[in-house]
Amino acid sequence: MTRHIRPDIFDAPSVRFDQVSLRYDTSDEVLSDLNIELKQGSFTFLTGASGAGKTSLLKLIYLAMRPSTGDVYLFGQNTSTLKRKQLSALRRRIGIVFQEFRLLEHLTAYENAALPLRVIGRNEKDYREDVEELLRWVGLGERLHAKPATLSGGEQQRVAIARALVGKPDLLIADEPTGNVDPDMGMRLMRLFWELSQRLGASVLIATHDLSLVRKLDAPVLRLQHGLLVQDAEHGLAS
Amino acid sequence: MSTKSREAPLLPVSDARESALFFVVCALCFLAAMAALSARATYGAAADWTSEVEGEITVRLIDVDSRSARDAERIVANMEGVESARLIDRDEAADLLAPWFGRDGLPASLPLPVLIEVRTAPNSGRIGPDIERVLTEAGLSARVDDHADWAGDVRRSLGTIRLVALGAVALLAATAIAVIAFATHAALLARRDIVDVLHLSGAEDRFIANLFERRFWILGLQAGSVGALAALGGVALMLFSANSATPERAWLLPQLSLDLWDLIILILSPIVAGFAARMAARITVVRSLADTV
Repeated sequence: MTRHIRPDIFDAPSVRFDQVSLRYDTSDEVLSDLNIELKQGSFTFLTGASGAGKTSLLKLIYLAMRPSTGDVYLFGQNTSTLKRKQLSALRRRIGIVFQEFRLLEHLTAYENAALPLRVIGRNEKDYREDVEELLRWVGLGERLHAKPATLSGGEQQRVAIARALVGKPDLLIADEPTGNVDPDMGMRLMRLFWELSQRLGASVLIATHDLSLVRKLDAPVLRLQHGLLVQDAEHGLAS
Repeated sequence: MSTKSREAPLLPVSDARESALFFVVCALCFLAAMAALSARATYGAAADWTSEVEGEITVRLIDVDSRSARDAERIVANMEGVESARLIDRDEAADLLAPWFGRDGLPASLPLPVLIEVRTAPNSGRIGPDIERVLTEAGLSARVDDHADWAGDVRRSLGTIRLVALGAVALLAATAIAVIAFATHAALLARRDIVDVLHLSGAEDRFIANLFERRFWILGLQAGSVGALAALGGVALMLFSANSATPERAWLLPQLSLDLWDLIILILSPIVAGFAARMAARITVVRSLADTV
């Protein structure tokens, strides 16, 4: 079967913000006039103090919100012009590790990790081995049937990471992914995210306030301050 | 350590809210089935009664002896449009009055009207006035009671009752749909975390709506079945009660029965309830998701 790929989309950055601003209802802007570009296969940190707008920026990328002004492009497509089905298709290309994990309490670790495959209608027989292997890799091989309530914070986070990776995403977004794991596991996760970007060509954006982790990896940094980008991935400090 | 192959439902098993909804749908389905059965029973009873009396005319002869009564019977029987005419004798009249006077309670001195029971031919039209005129011309004094007049009034009244019953069924169905829509919305709000995770994992609106549709379809079907069974029990109880009545007084009770159409109504009730629940859930979820990105 011949696969047709449009060159403009194929070469397009994974994420592009074009003069994006965001405000909630009548409040002040939480993000102001952002211009960001994340290339395919890039590995980028997003830093900033609490309330700087990191989570809001991530929400715009994983399509939980629309910008108040400006345009958000994902894989070369302007998300404001897409239909709901097309947005769903885009979301399938994004793996998300939420800061608060957002695991489904009534499902086991295995079922939570397999969720993105289940919602796209994949047959369980086809993915069972992969999901189990992924959970073993994150150290949960013996906790496949455990419900989130019986897992520690670190274990829950690893299930959330497995869920984000299981669909082999083109873009991985992680909001404080090392917040609940020990430093060793933190570095293992970072190496996995790094491998994902280098070997599979997936873009990775990690929001963190752990500057020591940022220093250990030689990766570009986006820094937010009061909703403004004060340092961008390509050019260092913004003017 | 390997996983079991059976996938757990993406929505948690039912909670207290759904138990309450189950009860409400069950009660509404019971009431709707009872209203539908009552409407049918009313209509059926009216149809039976009117078809029975519409072809009947009663002629009451005034101040006549037995010979004149026989003459009157013969005159009426020979009229065009009359199928049969039969003089009701004193014993038969006593039987008709038995519910009020008892079997042997009719005083011998009580004057009884002389009656002729007339059966008219189908499509003979209204011949009551003709009978009265012919008997008058024969020198007899008679009053004719055409049952068709009664039947028309009864049919009109029962038609109104049937409309009211159908309106009650429609109102109950609408109430059930509204309650289910409200419950679905509440369930959706309670399960917002799950819906969000599914949504952000790339699930389409149709997929999420299907989860709620299936849940409420099954709930409607089960609750409707219990309601329909309760209605069946109610009708069976009324039938038993009516059949246990003393024969002399049984005619006072409504004529109940349980035929094929009644069973179809009872079988359809839970399916309609399930379908209504499913549609209410679908519309509510799709509308709610339309508010998200």
